[in-house]
Amino acid sequence: MSRINDVGGMTGFAAIVQEPDEPPFHADWEAHVLALNGALIRRGIYNLDEFRDAQERLPVPQYLAASYYERWFAAIRVLLVEKGVATAADLELPHG
Amino acid sequence: MADRFAPGDRVRTRAADPDGHTRLPRYARGAIGTVVERAGAHPLADERARGGAPDAHAVHHVRFAAADLFGAGDHAVVVELWEDYLEEAP
Repeated sequence: MSRINDVGGMTGFAAIVQEPDEPPFHADWEAHVLALNGALIRRGIYNLDEFRDAQERLPVPQYLAASYYERWFAAIRVLLVEKGVATAADLELPHG
Repeated sequence: MADRFAPGDRVRTRAADPDGHTRLPRYARGAIGTVVERAGAHPLADERARGGAPDAHAVHHVRFAAADLFGAGDHAVVVELWEDYLEEAP
């Protein structure tokens, strides 16, 4: 099953935007997502390949519309539910 | 475990499009290349993505002619591939 992440060598996409002096993160929440993913992997909740697989299983329109760290966050949410760490309802709770 | 392939061997990558996660990129499927060097041994990502804890399998750097992969280009492309993705080229 060819997945939407696997587009190397495929033509028809818009040009890649080159960002001079690109910062590691464009918003604080992106750094939190990076840290959260690392913590979950180190805790053994899931492994790196399960994380990659979860990104590849995102619905294609969602994958293509999402930024890099939005894909990460979506995959983390998928895995938290699949691994029984949280319910889908838990993830919708407002934070406060 | 002895490697099935050595530097200089001609190999063909699997053409099959697997159901789940794989680290054999679509552009490099069914292509003929040459083994450059061994690149260690690691659990196969395809199996690990299904939650398993498989044994380490040999990984090789394999050189392809860009024209063989993309139909154009006079440079070479080296891809890091698990031995599981490779068979002897005829």
